[in-house]
Amino acid sequence: MRRLLRFLRSEAWLGRLLVIVSAVVLIVVWHLWARTNSPLILPEPGPVLERLLDYVGSGRANPHIWITVQEIVLGFALGGLAGIGLGTLASEFGIARRVIMPYVIVTQALPKFALAPILVIWFGFGMTPKVIIAALIAFFPLLENTYLGLTTTPAEMLELFRALRAGRWTTLTKCRALHAVPAVFSGLRVALMLALVGAVVAEYVGANKGLGALIIVSQGTLDTELMFVAFVQLTVLGLLLDQAHGLVYRLVMRRLYGSVGAEMRAAGVSV
Amino acid sequence: MNDQTGELSGRGHIEIDGLTKTYASDAGDITALQGIDFDIAPREFVGIVGPSGCGKSTLLRCVGGLIAPSVGEVRIGGDVVTEPDPRIGYVFQQAVLLPWRRVLDNVMLPFEIAGRPTSENRAKALEVLQMVGLSDYLNHRPGELSGGMQQRVSVARALVVEPSILLMDEPFGALDAQTRDSMNVELLRIWNESQTTVVFVTHDIGEALFLSDRVMVMSVRPGRVQDVIDVDLPRPRTFTEVEADERFWTLRQRIREQLN
Repeated sequence: MRRLLRFLRSEAWLGRLLVIVSAVVLIVVWHLWARTNSPLILPEPGPVLERLLDYVGSGRANPHIWITVQEIVLGFALGGLAGIGLGTLASEFGIARRVIMPYVIVTQALPKFALAPILVIWFGFGMTPKVIIAALIAFFPLLENTYLGLTTTPAEMLELFRALRAGRWTTLTKCRALHAVPAVFSGLRVALMLALVGAVVAEYVGANKGLGALIIVSQGTLDTELMFVAFVQLTVLGLLLDQAHGLVYRLVMRRLYGSVGAEMRAAGVSV
Repeated sequence: MNDQTGELSGRGHIEIDGLTKTYASDAGDITALQGIDFDIAPREFVGIVGPSGCGKSTLLRCVGGLIAPSVGEVRIGGDVVTEPDPRIGYVFQQAVLLPWRRVLDNVMLPFEIAGRPTSENRAKALEVLQMVGLSDYLNHRPGELSGGMQQRVSVARALVVEPSILLMDEPFGALDAQTRDSMNVELLRIWNESQTTVVFVTHDIGEALFLSDRVMVMSVRPGRVQDVIDVDLPRPRTFTEVEADERFWTLRQRIREQLN
């Protein structure tokens, strides 16, 4: 009861209301606009929803979703681990930084989607090229953020560890790595979304399964409705992945800092 | 070679011998400290005052083994300082607590780094936290504590390893006047109980006189020992007694004139 009162008195309910109202307005506009167009150009929301329920309900969507999820998760994990590992190496050893950074800059300058066709030639139409693209694209934000998080450890903390005669490894595990956690998590979030984009776009280039492949197939058959079904599925997938990230982030932060509240803001980290 | 120093008296004995520290810069070498000679007896409380930029902190860092002197040396208990010494406890200007550790875990940090987080040492941590009056805050995060309480945790962290020397670099400079006064009174009580050598850097003349047996007055760059003042005020000291004492004001005046 008290919570309800507080909710009503706060701005939160107004925000929620505005989100719901604007969403309804957008769907109505979509509906009205679609009625003036051919369903080949823009299908109406009603039929798209029906088709989505049928498609997901019948289980025909599952193989596509499953493949894309695997590509995202594998690419994210591989690229993420490589990014965290190399970012840590670069922050620990000057020589590692000097060797790694030029390569990183070159691989960043190269648009990774441009590699998709050659990866298909090398690895075929299976998951491998998609995982590689997703990994390459997820790699950079983690390298950047890990490096940033580790190297921005306050000088006073490092001096304290030096005064306490801590070695390099102890300083990393008991101080710098923990200081880098928020930065790494914000890198993980970006990497997760980029891995999704990477997997889908790589599927465009050549795939027989996956939500990206589904979009290409529906383009070929002028089945715009199915394409919209894929859009909705991708959006929901992205939201779920982001929610999962948020959940893990909050769990880790609560464990480290007690709460994700005042102290984090005091530490200058936006929550 | 320092047999005559002996085990007992030597542990907290600091000898600063011809210490000079220069830094290279674009405009040539900058001399931060020039020819400092100073001897600090075990269990002595020495205050260091001087204008900002006189190298007070640099001197303390040399004693603590955090930076190396360019010329000369520092000896602790007869051994030349080349790296941070386990017999030294350090209290910095900021509390420098690890925000992801609870109060007790912050105080346990020196033991963890040394690979000795034993239950015996845990008992020591609880004891020093009681000494600084934080027994009720063992499981709080640093972010939940006031500035004064945070600095008390950092004092506890320095004391927990039972150092023979405590180096304090303007530890209460960021606190409000009232909190600082009570911290100073507590520090004297703790010093009296633990009997470590204390070197206390401050820019506050009154604070230095209230705490110290001797006060080293430093000149601005290059930092030199300008004067050494014996503070012959009786102990234990209270602010009321000290401020009622003629000698306090005379010494204060003497230092102030030298700093101007």
